Amino acid sequence: MGRPDPSTVTMNLPRRDARDKLLGRTRYTVDRALPRMLHAAILRSEVASARIVRIDTTRARQMPGVRAIATIEDAPGMHGIGIADHPLFSSGVVRFHGEQIAAVAADTYEQAKAAARAIEVELEPLPAVLTMAEALAPGAPLIHPGWKDYEVLFGGGARGGNVAWEATVVRGDTDAAFAREDVVVVESCFRVGRQNHVSLEPRAVIASYEDGRYHIETSTQVPWTVRNQTAKLLGVPPSQVRVTVPPVGGGFGQKFDCTLEPYAAILARKSGQPVRLVYSRQEEMLTCLCRENAEIKIRSAVTRDGEIAGREAVVLMDCGAYGGEQIFLTTMTAHTLMGNYRLGSVRLASRAVYTNTPPNGAFRACNGVYNTFALERHTDEICQAIGMDPLEFRRRNVLGDGDIGSTGQVFKGDVLGPMLERMARMREASPPRKELAGDRLYGRATVVGTWFIFVGPSTATINLNADGSATLITAGVELGQGTMVQALPQIVAHELGLHPDDVIVRAADTDAAGFDLGVGGGRTTVSVGAASRAAAENIRDKLLKAAGELLQTAPEKLALRNGRVEIEGKEGSGMAIAQLVQHIHRTSGPVVGSGSFTNPGVPSIPGCAAGHFIDAIDIPVFNVHDCEVAVDPDTGHVDILSYKVVQDVGRALNPRAIHGQIQGGVTQGIGYALHEEHTIGEDGRIRQGSLGTYRVPLAQDTLPIEIELYEGAPSIGPLGVKGAGEIPIMNPPAAIACAVANATGRRVQQTPLTPPRVLGMLSGREAEVTLPHISANWWDNVFRRPG
Amino acid sequence: MPTPLIINGEHRVSWRDSMTPLIDVLRDEFSLTGAKSVCREGVCGACTVHIDGQPTVSCLVPIGTVGDREIRTVESLAAGGELSPLQQVMEEHDVVQCGMCFPGILMVLTSFLHERPHADRDEIKAALVGNICRCTGYERVVDAAAALARRS
Repeated sequence: MGRPDPSTVTMNLPRRDARDKLLGRTRYTVDRALPRMLHAAILRSEVASARIVRIDTTRARQMPGVRAIATIEDAPGMHGIGIADHPLFSSGVVRFHGEQIAAVAADTYEQAKAAARAIEVELEPLPAVLTMAEALAPGAPLIHPGWKDYEVLFGGGARGGNVAWEATVVRGDTDAAFAREDVVVVESCFRVGRQNHVSLEPRAVIASYEDGRYHIETSTQVPWTVRNQTAKLLGVPPSQVRVTVPPVGGGFGQKFDCTLEPYAAILARKSGQPVRLVYSRQEEMLTCLCRENAEIKIRSAVTRDGEIAGREAVVLMDCGAYGGEQIFLTTMTAHTLMGNYRLGSVRLASRAVYTNTPPNGAFRACNGVYNTFALERHTDEICQAIGMDPLEFRRRNVLGDGDIGSTGQVFKGDVLGPMLERMARMREASPPRKELAGDRLYGRATVVGTWFIFVGPSTATINLNADGSATLITAGVELGQGTMVQALPQIVAHELGLHPDDVIVRAADTDAAGFDLGVGGGRTTVSVGAASRAAAENIRDKLLKAAGELLQTAPEKLALRNGRVEIEGKEGSGMAIAQLVQHIHRTSGPVVGSGSFTNPGVPSIPGCAAGHFIDAIDIPVFNVHDCEVAVDPDTGHVDILSYKVVQDVGRALNPRAIHGQIQGGVTQGIGYALHEEHTIGEDGRIRQGSLGTYRVPLAQDTLPIEIELYEGAPSIGPLGVKGAGEIPIMNPPAAIACAVANATGRRVQQTPLTPPRVLGMLSGREAEVTLPHISANWWDNVFRRPG
Repeated sequence: MPTPLIINGEHRVSWRDSMTPLIDVLRDEFSLTGAKSVCREGVCGACTVHIDGQPTVSCLVPIGTVGDREIRTVESLAAGGELSPLQQVMEEHDVVQCGMCFPGILMVLTSFLHERPHADRDEIKAALVGNICRCTGYERVVDAAAALARRS
């Protein structure tokens, strides 16, 4: 059977959800209510570290409207990624400011809050470890003294003390590289703060307990994770938990974990009534699962010709009080900080470090953002040390076809090289905006970046209906990125010869759709798309076989298009698909197709990476960004004069939507580069508790991004696609920091580049970042031993 | 104490305390969930409604202070089910992503473009300074509004 012509994909499909969103009719989780619904509130710790002496809920239970109270006794399980180190409520000790101690459900939210305040908690203060330097100091108090007893969910990571997880890469003879006489050794240190997602819809859930099962309706990116983690925490079989997901009002990674769902589930079971739990904006700011703060020391041995003979680095990632996503993310340093360039030898340690601070999580391109900032600034410092033009250095060193990545993976296709050429042409085509800088300091930089598609398992089922429409059932979620309303119906319609409008996409329901890793990591179009395509192929085979018999024609001479099956070359010779489906209904029953997908896996060099969840990346994605800045020497204000993007998209099904993702992602990256940061006070509390003190980009803080989509790079995604939504945020901090360094002649070692920090750099008052707690001898920093 | 309110041309009565923020009454009592409760301190603009035609953050307005002034919410923009010209141009330009900020943005721009129908991009950007959008990076919202302004 001939495959459908790829050129027949409907391009730039309008979003079917746009109209209701514009009419104010879309019902997000926060907009939903059920009869007899209760409202929940959480009692949180107001200290960073303490022993719990006593919790007494007697008085709170007698408060008006109170229907149920939950504490650690109701949730015996522990959850986590890699290590099950995280209880649902403070268990014996409080480990961060804001930690959940109890949850209350009452008739109104005000009553629930009042009752939560009435719970008596007696605490005995313990010393708090608030920074990674303190956590790693000899004799530091252990945040998890019982770490050895925790259930290991994924093997291989080295652990110990306050180090939740250590992932390392050792490839080649780094000592020999650094000892070479023809190399210059360049060392750089970087430090970055926390970034809050600020999804406009906060985390929100309505849970019910019906017929002995939990029904959780929630604002999440990961329905199956919520199902499994909730079950684990509550100590019930996962089959007793059903998760459904209404339209989600922004996620950006914040909702890539199970967070508040189990509280509502317990309260629903205890009260026998549906329970709504919605985090307040203050709770969202103080306990957000941020992009983590991190510290990076990186050293390279580079020849005068720009060959990178050896590179070693230590990256410390603050996971907060519990390991969470950071344990997985230690993996991604190998593919980001040690990405982009050909390296003769590699030594890398990524450590997730416990502190008595709110846990961190996943945020769009995760540690790729700051690792790229560090790598690209380090690259420019190398260029300065060896006297080579930064663009020339990148042209010579970027990974190309057949090159080996840090863990020994072989890269396919020349992608970054041609993308740099494309950017060079973009730069030539538009004159520099230097005159806009006026009396201010002018700088420019072009930077590169490597990220990945988090592929993994997905499944899809399609019912082909008697009216010729198709119902696609997946566990995918629409967060705003558009995949569920654009790419998926396009892919299915393309296979079945339908119009995308005739493909109904069911909202996620774990009772209807099979397992899925969730929406994040740019994976939906690729993985859910591939599963949907496989399901559609399954149906296509059935249709063509039946049509072949009816039309007395070999199936390979038939084509599905415009809602009809036709004999190739004879338009009008066949029949409507609806008619064909009705025929199959009568002869062999309803038409259903199913498909599954998972990543095929890519080899790396055995023994090179340790403690990694992914040793090699299935689908790399590349970026080239360029920006011009003006820095005001009197105020330290950084103004972005132009911003250009060349992004590897594999194949663009919806260029217009991808442009929207790039504009939005770059703007978030500008926020991180210039003004977004959470800092921790001496009491362990996040200092920025509101949108008044945490500054996100507003309309006047951004500019129109000039965009070119680079198509044709190899991809295992359906129709050659790659996820396009995640990586736009990855390079702006690198591009802006390198441009500011070029403008000011100062080393940029930190983000955000707020006016006070930039003024401090210009006047020499900003302290140099030296990271003395990271030893100059790489082996002193790791549990791993040579050999 | 009942509080009479005029919402989208209809006379309604709220039974909440007179200090209750208007946003809570709109959403919880009258199921007008278009306006979003996002920051609850007047910073993000997602709860913007019109009060006597003036865009106002409804999280900072106690219902007891509204009196007989007319409240209009995003639900009233599509008169007779037809998208307003602003809603239409936003749909045409494929501006929407998660959509949470749009009710507020639409109320601000509807009022702004009524007063300044020929506004340019810079003026539109300035008008949007009280609305946080985390998805779009704003420019396409501005482009769409500017396209509408050029048409008028």
